[in-house]
Amino acid sequence: MKTRDRILVTSLELFNAEGEANTTTIDIANELDISPGNLYYHFKGKDEIIRELFQQYELALSDTLTAPIEQPLSSDRNNVEDNWYYLYVVMEEMYNYRFFYLNLDDIRHRYPDIRKGFRRLIQLKRAALFAICQTLLQQAVIETEEQQMLGLVDNMTLTLTFWFNYDQLLTEVRPPQVTIHQGVLQMMTMVAPYLGDEQLSFYRDCESIYATMLEQSTPD
Amino acid sequence: MSDDKGKVTDKASEIAKNIWLAGVGAYGKAAGEAQDRLEKAGVETPKLFKDLVKAGAALEEEAKDKDKGKDKESPKRTASSSVEERISKVRENFSLTRPSRSDELSSLHAKIDLLSNKLDLLTNTLTDQGVIKVPTTRKKAAAKKPAVKKATAKKTAVKKAPPKKKAAASSRAKTKKRQD
Repeated sequence: MKTRDRILVTSLELFNAEGEANTTTIDIANELDISPGNLYYHFKGKDEIIRELFQQYELALSDTLTAPIEQPLSSDRNNVEDNWYYLYVVMEEMYNYRFFYLNLDDIRHRYPDIRKGFRRLIQLKRAALFAICQTLLQQAVIETEEQQMLGLVDNMTLTLTFWFNYDQLLTEVRPPQVTIHQGVLQMMTMVAPYLGDEQLSFYRDCESIYATMLEQSTPD
Repeated sequence: MSDDKGKVTDKASEIAKNIWLAGVGAYGKAAGEAQDRLEKAGVETPKLFKDLVKAGAALEEEAKDKDKGKDKESPKRTASSSVEERISKVRENFSLTRPSRSDELSSLHAKIDLLSNKLDLLTNTLTDQGVIKVPTTRKKAAAKKPAVKKATAKKTAVKKAPPKKKAAASSRAKTKKRQD
């Protein structure tokens, strides 16, 4: 791996683990075992690193989020579950860059361009979830009026966006898969009242998986 | 739907939908510029709003068109295919952790079959060795024994008690007799 890429990967790890505000370029150089001068040769400070990381993130997440807008994830009622699995994919992607979300206000104030980027991403999340719900509606998986559905989509977007913050406030550090699974379950909980019996059984499976995960992750 | 009330609610929901679509439309490439304009001039909002509604509606159309005429842009196609790949990975993980009730049930049935087979085998060997004559009687005998012991214990207690009672009864009888 090139030094430039290594700097980005290590920065991302440190930001996620220690928090962006608590990490300096010196920390990053130390972690990489390179001189601060060498780091400076590639990036003229933390700002540049953060901007580059955000570009990576926006590109990756935009790609993922446009998928259900381009084309329905499920072709008929038989693979409706793919819509739920898709939520995992989105959440996992977000988790990889979670430091943005955990320090969102601060980063938004310091970087106006990232602020705009984030707004684009949130809108794209809404659009993606809107597309998913519309597909579910067309395939008669859910039954709801349009206005309710728009509210539902916003609720889901809200949960998706702030799930990691909420989780961090509420609990101690948990295995990421538990956090992500619960987040997906939470979004499904919002759709659940509109679901038919068939899909409800899938929802129940999700619940029981969550219960097992909790059991396994809590030390006795 | 032809009455006034229906029209009003239709219009209201249409407005709400437009507002919502405007939001969705705001994410596009023009969004950055649009947002700038919004911040600079609050007066322009109505026009901007129209633009955004258009953008939102266009997005919807675009999504529909793309659904109809597939395979136009190759780079985006790869993006969605990678999403498909990742979805299938999640699906695999899920099926591993997913509790399948039918599997659990069938494994339970298998266990029961295994146990009953073993029980048959055990009783057969025991009968062959002459430890038991008929499996059911042995069980009954074993079950009866403690019960019998208890019964005898009770009986002895009962046996001991009666004399006093008898005595008491006889004395009472005697007094009765006297009274008579």
